[in-house]
This record gives sequence, structure tokens and C-alpha cells, in this order.
Amino acid sequence: MSTTDTQAPAADQPEAAEEKPNFMRLFGRYLTEANSVMVTIYSLLLAFLIGAILLIVSDEYVRSTYTYFFARPQDALTASWYLVRDSYIALFEGAILNLNMLDRFAAGNAEFGDLLRPLSETLTYATPLIFTGLAVGLAFRAGLFNIGAQGQMIFGMLGALIIGFGLSLPAVIHLPLAIIAGAIAGAAFGAVPGLLKATTGAHEVISSIMLNNIAALFLVWAIGTDFLHSETKTDLITKPVDETAVMPKLLSGLSESLRVNWALPLGILAAVFTWWLLSRSTFGFRIRAVGFNEHASATAGMRIGSTYTTTMAVAGGLAGLAGAALSLGVGSAGLTTNTALEYGFDGITVALLGRANPGGIVAAALLFGALKAGALSAQPDVPVDISTLLQAIIVLFIAAPALVKAILHLRTPRGGLVTLEAKGW
Amino acid sequence: MAVDTMTASPAVVDESVPVKFAKPGGVLAALGLLLVAIAFAVVGGDDTTTIAFDRTLTDVEWALPTSITVALLGAVTAAGGAWMIIGLPKRRFKLVAGVAVTAFVLGLLFWAYSQPGTVFRAESILAGALFLSLPYLFGALSGVVCERSGVINIGIEGQFLMGAFTGVLVANITGNVYAGMVGAMAAGLLSTMLLALLATKYQVNQVVVGVILNLLALGFTSFMYDQLKKAEGLNSAFSIPAISWGPLADIPVLGPVLFNQKIFVYIGLVLVFVIWFLLYRTRWGLRTRAVGEHPAAADSMGVNVNRLRYWNVTLAGLIAGFGGAWFTIANSLAFSKNMTAGLGFVALAVMIVGRWNPLGVLAGALIFGFTTQVARDLDASGGSVVPGEFLQMLPYAVTLVVVAGLIGKAKAPAADGVPYNPGDK
Repeated sequence: MSTTDTQAPAADQPEAAEEKPNFMRLFGRYLTEANSVMVTIYSLLLAFLIGAILLIVSDEYVRSTYTYFFARPQDALTASWYLVRDSYIALFEGAILNLNMLDRFAAGNAEFGDLLRPLSETLTYATPLIFTGLAVGLAFRAGLFNIGAQGQMIFGMLGALIIGFGLSLPAVIHLPLAIIAGAIAGAAFGAVPGLLKATTGAHEVISSIMLNNIAALFLVWAIGTDFLHSETKTDLITKPVDETAVMPKLLSGLSESLRVNWALPLGILAAVFTWWLLSRSTFGFRIRAVGFNEHASATAGMRIGSTYTTTMAVAGGLAGLAGAALSLGVGSAGLTTNTALEYGFDGITVALLGRANPGGIVAAALLFGALKAGALSAQPDVPVDISTLLQAIIVLFIAAPALVKAILHLRTPRGGLVTLEAKGW
Repeated sequence: MAVDTMTASPAVVDESVPVKFAKPGGVLAALGLLLVAIAFAVVGGDDTTTIAFDRTLTDVEWALPTSITVALLGAVTAAGGAWMIIGLPKRRFKLVAGVAVTAFVLGLLFWAYSQPGTVFRAESILAGALFLSLPYLFGALSGVVCERSGVINIGIEGQFLMGAFTGVLVANITGNVYAGMVGAMAAGLLSTMLLALLATKYQVNQVVVGVILNLLALGFTSFMYDQLKKAEGLNSAFSIPAISWGPLADIPVLGPVLFNQKIFVYIGLVLVFVIWFLLYRTRWGLRTRAVGEHPAAADSMGVNVNRLRYWNVTLAGLIAGFGGAWFTIANSLAFSKNMTAGLGFVALAVMIVGRWNPLGVLAGALIFGFTTQVARDLDASGGSVVPGEFLQMLPYAVTLVVVAGLIGKAKAPAADGVPYNPGDK
């Protein structure tokens, strides 16, 4: 993500020089400053606060207690408190640790594996997010807004699926081959908006949104074809991949029900690779140079068009890996139109929260994976879309740190606010 | 803008000299010949295409021999292409290109409706096309106002969702469908106000924030939908009647298309001319265009750039919000999650096709509406050779072709998407 200084440092420095700085003072100063760490923390807090308000406003029972607020305010306040508390506890129990299960485990009635299930779900949902987050983040560095991770992921899913059931090979070759097929399919689809931008100047945001819609419809059609459709089931579901191409589970030693699989280490590997690519390779240097200033890069002899195309291809490949992880991870069950969820779109929020740094993306993917796991396990008591809502609010603040600064009256840090650089069409 | 200055310039002499348009001419000639080949090779000799006037003259049906008609239309297309290759007066280019493209599209239509059992119900299809062009029209008009002022509004999709949701909600609470429309407009206004604030005061990356605002709208409306579902009667469908203009409604073709439609159609059409007039014939319009093209110049002439941008973007939300009400109120539907299905983004493409001009936008919206209507009709009649999913892809595929600039280079307002900071210059 190309960053830029938007505001000059504040001029209130002399006052600080007079007093001797001690740790607490420095710490307090740090807390009230709009630096990127504190903006992230405040964004999270504000998002959960706004989420709580929306929960209260939209709940019929709690709303009814507010009709007699001035007669008995404690009713409304306790009802609100319990609603918000229970909702967030439900999210926590679905994502991190189920407190009931902890009691049962302490009493000796549950396995250790059962205790890990919420965490395993969080990691399962975080895995595709790591890949799609990297796909969006990498393109960001080249000044491209890759909003098409969803479509690239869908093609990755199909690519891995076709190799997964189409070939009969020993597992040592079959699994890697299916993964690579997913990456290639995603890369091919991802290169299109890059190529269009390079050759015709079409903005990648519009073209990749259209490609997302096309991919989603293509998936519906493809699942229905005789080639892909399950031979045993009548609903819209594909053939399963062969046993030799199934992504093995990571913790099957503890409990078979823990879904987290080897795609997670693969995702972390992909993050390390992306870090290496961006900060240690010539290609990465070109990406960052073009993202920072395309005109200067062109003057320096870099080919802008081909950088756009190759960057989008690599990004598409990363999103394709997310698709492969999903295809090969569902095991004996086939793919449905629902398997892809919104991992591709969530990748955008992951990349923004992670500020397009591979390490930050992994952390953001874990957080949003936890939100997703929590929301899916807490529904229908808590609306499942609370995860989308919270994600959107968090990244809105991340993208507009000046808003956080204004709401909380924070001070401008030395060096100014870190914001995304604004570009036209 | 560029077109205006060209036609106004005194270089009339050059207009009558034949100019060769080899590239578009070659493409059209090839397409025309392809159509002729299809007419003789693919279409059966006895196939007929039936045109019916299903609303006014229910007993009239024209059955035309498909192969001869298609071949003739193909010949017209090819002739137009050939004329372009040989060279034609520049001022004739638009007319010839228009006739050739129309002939080609009609040829495809005749071929598509040649299957037994399919009837081209001219009046229903044309009336439906006008009705289906409305979301594109409202979205693109809102986009025109924003982008002419220099702010990229990629959040139209989100404003549609907010309008669609709020429209139904307010209509249910008040029991009045027109109050619902006003509510939808207010919701659109509030959501663009956030964009306006972030774009002008906090100078963020408008594309990124637009995408986040879409996600926020999706999360918010889906969350509220789930919450309000628990309460009775907050999301019931409301409908409005079509306005019949008495005897005018009985005129063949024109009657059903223009004189028997819902109020949304008339508001949309009036809005096109109102915005055109405001943009090109008033002081506000001149200032708006100046702020979008060269904000520094406008500033030096005493225009408050960021304040004008703020209010223009905010007011554009009224149009987008009203467009949102189309999805629910005009279609007599209750709200459902993500019901706008990416049409807000297609509206952006319509804006680009229309070259940021309200009249061009009307033409573009009609083309997209027609494509959508024909795809739906063919899909529903079941007589199509192409799978339904591919027909549904049509608007997206057309958008892709359009933004890739195959129809011509579109030029955005010069300062579109670039925040204006008066201190910088």
C-alpha cells in the first residue's frame, strides 16, 4: 500500500522538551496519538462499539424497553447490557473458546480436541483469507486495487477440482499438482484485468468486478454440467476430489472433527514468499516502484504494462490457491455454489487492515477468520452478517485515520498520518 | 466536453472530406459477413421469426422468414463496414456506425427468436427494456453528478442497497409507498454524505473508501434484514400502479412503452434532461464542471472547491437512493440480502459509455436495459440455444467490452478522484 504524509507534524513540540520524559508519560503520549498501532486498536474498539449500538437499536425486545426509558431506565440499560454481552460472548465462544466446553473438560466429560474446535474453525476460515488478503495486498503495492480475488478464487477452485478428480496419481504428486492447477487457473483469470489495464487503460476495479460476476455465474453453470456434477447426488454439487488429492487435516491426531488442514501452513508459507518477493526480489522492487510512482518508473525504463499484468497474475495465483485450499479441503464432500462464501471480498478488508504487509495480512486474516467463525456459530441469535458489518467498519476507520483522529481528538504523530494515496481513474 | 469544443470549432471544411475508418469498418464488415454465413449455414430454411404486438394489437403477428431477414441485416452491417473502409464523410460516421450496429443486433435477435415456441413480444420487451434500464440510469446519473465534480463514487451499489432497504422499511412503518420513496432518497443522501465527508474533508482514497462503503452497506442491510425479520410486517412488499395516459396508452408500440409505465420511468426521463440542463446551462453546472476539470482554476475564481464537491456528492445520493427504491418498490418486492446484484457497478460502466453526459447516459442505460430484458426473456422462454447463466452474464460482459475501450476512448473529468487541498498549490 503506497503511503503518504497528508498532514504536517503538529507544532506543539516545545512543551514536551521542558519536562523530563518518563515511561508513563511517553506511554500516555503514545496512547493519545494517531499512530498506526493506536489507529488500528481504536478502529477495532470503535467498530465493536458501533456494532453494540446497532445490536441494541435493531433488537425488538430491547427497543420496547426504551419506550418507558424515563419511567424505569434500569430496564432498558440492563436489557441492552445483556444483549450486547451475550452477543459478543457468543462470538467469542464460537471463535476462541467455548466456556461450557471448558467446564465439561474440567469435569472430565470432554476431550481436549473438543476444546480446540472453535480455534480450529477460526483457523479454517482464516486460511483462505490469508491467500485472498495476500492477493489484494500484493496488487496494492503495485498501485492496483485487485477487487477480483473472488473470481480468481472461483477459477482456482475449479482448476484444483478438475485435476483433483480427473487424474489418478499417487498422493505425493496428485496433491501438489492439484494445488498448482488452482494457482494457474487463478493466475490466468487474474491476469485479465492487468492485461486490460496495460493495453486499453480500463480501470482494474470495474473490469474485475465484472469478472467476479461472470465467474460466479460461470460456477453455477459449471457445477450443473455433466462433467463436474456429482453422479450420486441430485442437488447442485460437484464430484468429490480423489482421496489422493484431499488436503490432509492438521490435527487429525487429536480429533477427527478438527477441520483445520495443511492449507494453513501453506498460507503462512505463501505469506513468507510474498514478503520475500516484495522486499528481496527484483520483481518486487519493480512492483513497489510502479506503485510508488509509475511515471518515474517508466522514465527509469521499467515496463509499466507488463508489471501490471504480471502482478495481477501473481495476485490471481495467490487467490487461486485459496480456491485450491477450499476445493481440496472439503474432502469427500463436493463443491457447491456456497463453498466460496465471500472469501475474495473479505480479502480486501484483510489486506486493508493488514496494511498490505504479509505479516499484517496473516494477523488480519486470523482476526476476521475469528469473526466469521464466531458469527457462523452464533447465528441465528446474532445476525450472521455482523461479521461483514464489523469488518467494514474496522477498515473504514483504517482507511480514514483522520476520522478516528477527529472522533477521539487524538494528536497527529510525528511524520503525519499514514493514509492511502488517492488516485483517479 | 471534448466533443462540444470540436463541433463548435470552425473546422467545418474537414467534415465533408472522406475519411477512412479501417479498424471499426473491418470489424463491422467481418461481423456482417459472419451474420450472412450464419443465415445460410446455421439457420434452417423454413425457420420463421414471429413478432407480436402483445399489448395493443393482440391478434396481429408477423412471421418473417429467418434466414432471408438475417442475411439482409448481415448485408446491411457488412455494407456499412465496407463504406467505412472505403472512406466516408466524417459527419456521417456516427449515423453509419449506428445503423450497422443496430442491423447486427437485430440480426442476432432474429436468429435468437427463430426457435419454435419463441415469440418476440415487441411491446412487452421494449416496455420492459425501458423499465430495466432505470437502475442503470439512476446510478449513472448519480455518478455523473459526483464525477463531474471530481469525486469518484464507486459506492453506488451500496447506496442502492441502502435505498432499497430503507424504502421498504419506511413504506411499512408509515403505510405509504411515497413516504418509502422519500425514505430511500434520505438513506441515499446519508450514505453519500459519508463519502462526501471522507473525500473532501479527510482526503482519502475515494476508490478504496467507495468499496468499503459498499461492504458497509451490504453488511448493514443484511444485518438489519435478519434482525427485522424477527418482527412482523417491517419488510412486506409494497407496489405502485402504472400510470395509464388514457387513449395514448393504446397506440401500438409507443403506448405500452411510454404511456403506461410506473412513475419511476417518468422521473428517470425527466431527471436526464434536468441534470443535462443544470450541468450545461446554469452557473452551478459551469462551476461543477470546472471543479471536476481544474479545481485550482475554479478556486482562483472564487469557487469553494471542497464545499461544492461536498454538496454535489451529497445531493447525488438522492438520485442513487431513489434508484435503490426501484429494486423494491418499483418491482413490488420485499428487500432481500444483496438484491442489487452488482448493478450499481454496471451503472458506473453506463456512466463511462455515456461519457459523463446525461444524454449519453440515457442512451447507454437503454442499451443495457434492452440487453438485460432480451436475456431474461430468452431465458424464461426456454427456447435459447445458450445456457441461461451465459445470458445473465451479458450485461457484465458488455460492460467489460465497454470499459476496455473497444467502443472508443472515454475521457474522465481531469481531476476525477483527486482530492483538492487548497494549501497544496
